[in-house]
Amino acid sequence: MNTSAPLLQPRNLGSGYLVKIFVFFLLGCSIAMSAHAGGIELQDDLNNKVVLPQPAQRIVSLAPSVTELLFSAGAGSKVVAAVDYSDFPEEAKTLPRVGGYTQLDIERILALRPDVVIGWKSGNHPAALEQLRKLNIPVYITETRFLDQIPTTLERFGLMAGTQAQAQQEAEHFRNTLHRLKTQYQHKTPVRVFYQVWNQPLITINRQNLINQVIEACGGQNVFAELNTIAPRIDVEAVLKANPDAIVASGMGIERPEWLDEWLKWPAIKAVKNHQLHFIPPGHIQRQTVRVLLGTERLCQQLEQTRHTMDGQP
Amino acid sequence: MTQDRPGKNVSYSQQQKLRALFWLGGLALACILSLMLSLLTGSIDVVIADIWQLIQYQTGLSHSPVNALSATVITELRLPRSLSALVVGAELALAGCLMQVLLRNPLADPYVLGVSGGAAVGALFSIMAGLGSFWVSGSAFVGALTNLLLVFGLSHASGVWSPSRLLLTGVVTAAGWGAVISFMLSIGEDNQLRGMLFWLMGDLSRATLPGWHGLFLLISLTISALLARPLNMMLRGELQAKALGVAVYPLQITLYLLASVLTASAVTQAGSVGFLGLVVPHILRLSIGSDHRLLLPATALAGACLLLLADTLARTLIAPQQLPVGVITAFIGVPVFLWVLQKSNRGTI
Repeated sequence: MNTSAPLLQPRNLGSGYLVKIFVFFLLGCSIAMSAHAGGIELQDDLNNKVVLPQPAQRIVSLAPSVTELLFSAGAGSKVVAAVDYSDFPEEAKTLPRVGGYTQLDIERILALRPDVVIGWKSGNHPAALEQLRKLNIPVYITETRFLDQIPTTLERFGLMAGTQAQAQQEAEHFRNTLHRLKTQYQHKTPVRVFYQVWNQPLITINRQNLINQVIEACGGQNVFAELNTIAPRIDVEAVLKANPDAIVASGMGIERPEWLDEWLKWPAIKAVKNHQLHFIPPGHIQRQTVRVLLGTERLCQQLEQTRHTMDGQP
Repeated sequence: MTQDRPGKNVSYSQQQKLRALFWLGGLALACILSLMLSLLTGSIDVVIADIWQLIQYQTGLSHSPVNALSATVITELRLPRSLSALVVGAELALAGCLMQVLLRNPLADPYVLGVSGGAAVGALFSIMAGLGSFWVSGSAFVGALTNLLLVFGLSHASGVWSPSRLLLTGVVTAAGWGAVISFMLSIGEDNQLRGMLFWLMGDLSRATLPGWHGLFLLISLTISALLARPLNMMLRGELQAKALGVAVYPLQITLYLLASVLTASAVTQAGSVGFLGLVVPHILRLSIGSDHRLLLPATALAGACLLLLADTLARTLIAPQQLPVGVITAFIGVPVFLWVLQKSNRGTI
């Protein structure tokens, strides 16, 4: 977790009274959720009730982002298996696998005798989750649509795994950092942003995507927010027409994708003319985990840089 | 119905010449209009004056400044893509037509012998490996040629060659490729999956200027013009054709190679655009008869127009969002085909 080192600084500084009151309020909620005849009872993101007789010791994660959040919540040692591509933190790479998140090996999950299985609504097949429920395995389903849900999910994971203290701390840190970034950047001069998920085919995101909220937190405006699919496929002409102030892309891995420079042949785009082609590693912005703060911090700085180029123009 | 007994027509009658001129001229005009439409539609506004200015500028007739954005949009985006659509459409329709004669089967299309399957495995492999579009096209072409040799070799292996043997070998090989494709799709990563599906549905967004593909199309059209007369004789059956002096076996080999390489070239540029190669030859056969001297060039022109129109719709229908062109070819082609079939009273199909 040393990548998040700069973010660890403001943890104890707090961002004022309101945040603390909010945190206490949530703490209260968690206690209320857990107070059920010695067992644990809580609701998942689809408002289904999940009941565990005691804190889970054996957890199976059905999404790479869930695995990551479990580690952040201090429950890493209780994850007995995870799906493919669970690659963060480093320890997650060596976890036993139960297939890809679209093709789960139900038998293997069953053989692991999990206390709870944590699924992902937009990734897992609903029939597979239903099957697990029928086999009397408690299933908790996540669906992260808002940045604010990430700390809540951390707290709930902490509750299920009996690691409330660390989960609480991590959640508070998340809220504080996000609050700090929003206070600093959200209301600055709007920057029109084109976020490029992929080049071939050319894919962007609309307002329903979590990335849209990251952009807005930094005072950016997603130029394709109004399209009606969550990851719409567009063409180069649409980008020319939208004429964004900044182009932000992620690509496949930790390297800046070569195709980002393909925009250089379109100097008519403001972002190209002002050299505002930015890169954010996909793990820092496309996954609904604590690391999204790294992506947010980076994007906020990049858009700030873009603002300076905009100031220089009439 | 003289055109149904084309083998006897040693030369064109005056009336046939006029008819050919009418059809080919009409289809060529339709292609030019489709090209204009394609160049003028899109998210960025481009007007005819921009195109005219650009032509004058490029040909050196005028040195007046052109609208820079419109000019780059035309020369970098719309023109390469449109020309590519014309070439791919022509190649697929021509390949389909040749395949139907070779296999003597109305259900034959350019993909029936597995060329697109082989190409798809190559392309998907490159997409999975995260390679650029140059490699995707390159490996698609290699895949298509592998299939060509594989099917050819297997159908000759026992020493007995016949179109039906070729058809069976090809169909089964195609099924094999299909299994590999399904496997690759099921293990692919999300980001890549989208690209893979678009490739499989046929998509011209990657298209660049057709270059050697265009040259190859022209060569193929010339060869097919030379083959037209023996093809007409083949329609009356192999035995009759032999009796009339057609070297049937070399002709079949030529047809196979020509159709396969045309298909390979098409899928290399645009992925497996479906439907076009099956239906365009039939529509033309129902409308103008089966004299290959007219049918082959007319099919190529009609395929070119249809694909270009479909692609223009694919990129503008729900703009700025894009559809794969393969979806649109079927949406246009199915009703047109059924309409032509209903009103036709010929016994050719």
